[in-house]
Amino acid sequence: MGGHGRGKSGGRRPQRRKDVRHGEPGDAFRCVGCRLDVPVFAPGTAHRNHCPHCLTSLHVDHRVPGDRRASCRGRMAALSVSVRQDGEWLIIHHCQSCDGLSANRIAGDDNALALLRIAIRPLSDSALPTKVLLAL
Amino acid sequence: MSTHKTRSALTNTFPCVRCGLTVAAVAADGSRRNHCPSCLHSLHVLDRVEGGPSECGARMVPISIAVLRTGDWMIIHRCTRCAELTSNPICADDNQLILMRMAVRPLAQPPFPLETFGDL
Repeated sequence: MGGHGRGKSGGRRPQRRKDVRHGEPGDAFRCVGCRLDVPVFAPGTAHRNHCPHCLTSLHVDHRVPGDRRASCRGRMAALSVSVRQDGEWLIIHHCQSCDGLSANRIAGDDNALALLRIAIRPLSDSALPTKVLLAL
Repeated sequence: MSTHKTRSALTNTFPCVRCGLTVAAVAADGSRRNHCPSCLHSLHVLDRVEGGPSECGARMVPISIAVLRTGDWMIIHRCTRCAELTSNPICADDNQLILMRMAVRPLAQPPFPLETFGDL
């Protein structure tokens, strides 16, 4: 998370290689949200973990991406979008059954409309900070 | 650590790890504060995955804004040391400039052209 950890280098979490995928035979998984058959090979990322259509994920990883150590298996809904210092978008997923959070980079074939709807959600409701924007 | 604990117990304040602001632990509306209202940074003292206190204790950076179904804003924090994510409700006196900057940042750096969405 380059710029967010200001002044710290090499603070990235190690990503385990995904040579063995436990419980996932073949090269596709079915989305728990929209039942789309999703190929695991995605343009732009080696760690596809969410459906490119509805952005729903499954809670299978514990702390390290790809470790498959979570016993939860709950459905994870896309909660918000974060931006890395290098401009990469991350989807923050929120587990519906255990309340956990995780972040994953977007893939090249992710649904742009679904991403944009999450990104503009803070700006679309007429909450208090809008008057701050007008004052700038 | 013990002196820090007794001091914060006496005055019910904590110093911000990033900007050094002395922050009252209880907000104006009576809710418990966990991040600095000025720079929105937090401290990793609660473990969200395992539950209970965390032994990490590192600084947590605000990385994004999430909106609940109720319309309330939440700040997503990320630990600079162990990369754990937490979400916390915003306070009324939180720095609105930083909140707004985080909210518009995805739209300022889109990974795809936004012109096509103008027709929708």
